[in-house]
Amino acid sequence: MVLEIARQELTIALRNRWTLIIALIFGVLLVSISYVGMLSEGFSGVQTFTRTTSSIMNLVLYLVPLFGLIAGTVAFTGDRGSTELLYAQPLSRSTVAFGKILGVQASIAVSTFGGFLCGAVVIAVGNGVSGIGRYAAMVGFALLLSQIFVGISFCISVIAHRTSKAFGIALGAWFFFVLLYDLLAIGLGLVLRGSSVNMAIFLSLFGNPVDIVRVATLLLLENASSFGVAGAALQRFLGGSEVSVLVLVLSLFVWVAMPIILALRALRRQDL
Amino acid sequence: MNRLCPWIEVDTSRETFRHDRNDARSSFGPVLALCGMLFASPAPAQRLQALIDAAPERSVLRVPAGIWDGNIELRKKLSIVGDQGTVIRGSGQGSTVTILADSCRLEGCIVERSGGMLAQEDAGILVKSSGNVLVNNELRDVLFGVYLFASHDNIIDSNRIRGRKELELGARGSGMHLWNSRGNSLKGNRVEDVRDGIYMQYANRTMIEGNDISGVRYGLHYMYADSNVFVGNVFRKNVAGAAVMYSRDIVIRRNMFIHNRGFASYGILFQDCHGITADSNIVADNVVGLFFEASSDNVFRHNIIAQNDVALTMFQNAERNVFTENTFVDNLSPITVIGRSTSTRWSEGTQGNFWSSYDGYDLDQDGIGDVPARIQNVFQYLEGQVPNLRLFLYSPAAQALSRATSAFPVLDMSKEFDRYPLMRPFDNRLLMQAYAATEARTKSEAVQQRPSLPVLSGLVVAFGVVTLLPFRFIKRRKMN
Repeated sequence: MVLEIARQELTIALRNRWTLIIALIFGVLLVSISYVGMLSEGFSGVQTFTRTTSSIMNLVLYLVPLFGLIAGTVAFTGDRGSTELLYAQPLSRSTVAFGKILGVQASIAVSTFGGFLCGAVVIAVGNGVSGIGRYAAMVGFALLLSQIFVGISFCISVIAHRTSKAFGIALGAWFFFVLLYDLLAIGLGLVLRGSSVNMAIFLSLFGNPVDIVRVATLLLLENASSFGVAGAALQRFLGGSEVSVLVLVLSLFVWVAMPIILALRALRRQDL
Repeated sequence: MNRLCPWIEVDTSRETFRHDRNDARSSFGPVLALCGMLFASPAPAQRLQALIDAAPERSVLRVPAGIWDGNIELRKKLSIVGDQGTVIRGSGQGSTVTILADSCRLEGCIVERSGGMLAQEDAGILVKSSGNVLVNNELRDVLFGVYLFASHDNIIDSNRIRGRKELELGARGSGMHLWNSRGNSLKGNRVEDVRDGIYMQYANRTMIEGNDISGVRYGLHYMYADSNVFVGNVFRKNVAGAAVMYSRDIVIRRNMFIHNRGFASYGILFQDCHGITADSNIVADNVVGLFFEASSDNVFRHNIIAQNDVALTMFQNAERNVFTENTFVDNLSPITVIGRSTSTRWSEGTQGNFWSSYDGYDLDQDGIGDVPARIQNVFQYLEGQVPNLRLFLYSPAAQALSRATSAFPVLDMSKEFDRYPLMRPFDNRLLMQAYAATEARTKSEAVQQRPSLPVLSGLVVAFGVVTLLPFRFIKRRKMN
């Protein structure tokens, strides 16, 4: 039954054109970044991929959370009537909610994946398929990040039932995770002194999925040396270069599950 | 006369000795007999030392191809010239070739299997005399490559040195090790898989030209050595490019320090160095391009410093260095200052540097930006205070901070300004051509690097699950 609801939700999302718009924006931006990246090859020849990677990563860090939140908020609070109808059926609330989440996650995955596919085609045509593993890793991280923010948007929709209020909170959440959190963490790093600084900075990474994705991408694709001494310290803290990437990826999966679990618990107690 | 090249006729059969020397006596009776006729030695007449002892002083000893047992010692002035495939194989203890007499020459030989004691300077070629020439040799499976021990005015030209790749970096020796040696010339050598490419200590007036050093710990490890000249060398893919310490009056021209990417690594490190002139070098794709500690009064001109994670790291105690007409392109951070500020001069006369991050303008069209170039932004300044903040590299917050610097100048804590930023990079076309050629070579040698298998497979599974799921739904929808 969960799958039935998910399928219905996916159908709605696909008809809604949000999926298409997001995929198009992603596609256009990725294609232009990859194209410009290839043009600038004239200077170096070797390092370009890293520069392209970092540009794409920037795109992921800003836009994927935003799109995840928007698509999620639209889907979860958009059509109140049909949602209420569903909740009125002889199904447990978690079943309904879980189905809806799955559907939205699938739709956002489709649009993210579609956008990245356009970029991949351009890169493959221009540069061959040698870097495709790294690109795939990047896509994987983008997908995980979008799922996390769909979960967060579900959380928001449980707190705020009205669409306008939910959108406000969603934008606030985006601002917090993308910008404010890091500024606070940097401030914290400056305020603290001594050995507690490092611990605080390392642990602060796990409080923000955007940070986890950024650090994991850089560790995996550029190895830790671009972080200099800090990278070495982080790897020692997490226990080795491969373990640290695994730890970061696992914590991302925790971030996918955690908001959903919390929201489901709140939903069960709520009077609809 | 026959003693100089007595065995030319048995060259081909000698090749087979390589694999099974113990068996040689029974299988190669005729060869043995021939050898035995000439020398009453029990070994299968491969001992080069006997030939050397027999050769008259100042003569040229032409050694035909084949495997020759070492170790050898040159105690008189002699030229040893190898044929193609002349192998001098060491006993596995001590140095394979030891030169003790002045003005010897070793040319065209393959020198292999030295001993393994670091403390005893076990080298492919250990030189303890002066005025020698080592040309076109290939050194392999050696601890140190060429070791100059209190040895002056030697020429080491076009040798190829490969260390023991199977050893840990720290357990290997140097490619070319100069200790207490003056006036040597190292030219066109190629060094790989050793600890330090060139190690110099108390080595003044050395000419180092056109060497290619890759895959080692320090490309150049250098201390207490003055008045040296480096021209046209390439230091690539090492843990660190060059560490130059406690030295003065060095000229560094047209070298490349590229792809040196270990932890806390750098293109060139200057520690307590003064009066260095660095001109037209390329420092690219290093973790830190140039690193300065307590190094003052150095001049950097016409260098290209590109695509490093940090272009320059300077301690506050690095004073009065001058940078003019350098090209800083695409570095993630242009400078990290450890301490408050440096007294670096970023321009001389009206010639500053080219900064690819410069966002000013040039209304009077004189090629020099009208607004001083702000070299550091707030984030980079803070990074100098708390190094681990670098983990926020690329984060939107760090980018916001750097934008904020230009929007709110109050935030500007850094004192590093280039008052005469160039609008166009200094035209260094020949250098760029050389760089392109080196890059092509590096690319052709490169082994594809892959992320480790478990991480990759984990990602692929996650990727597959997330992407394939919706496609199942879409298919069913069409059927309905």
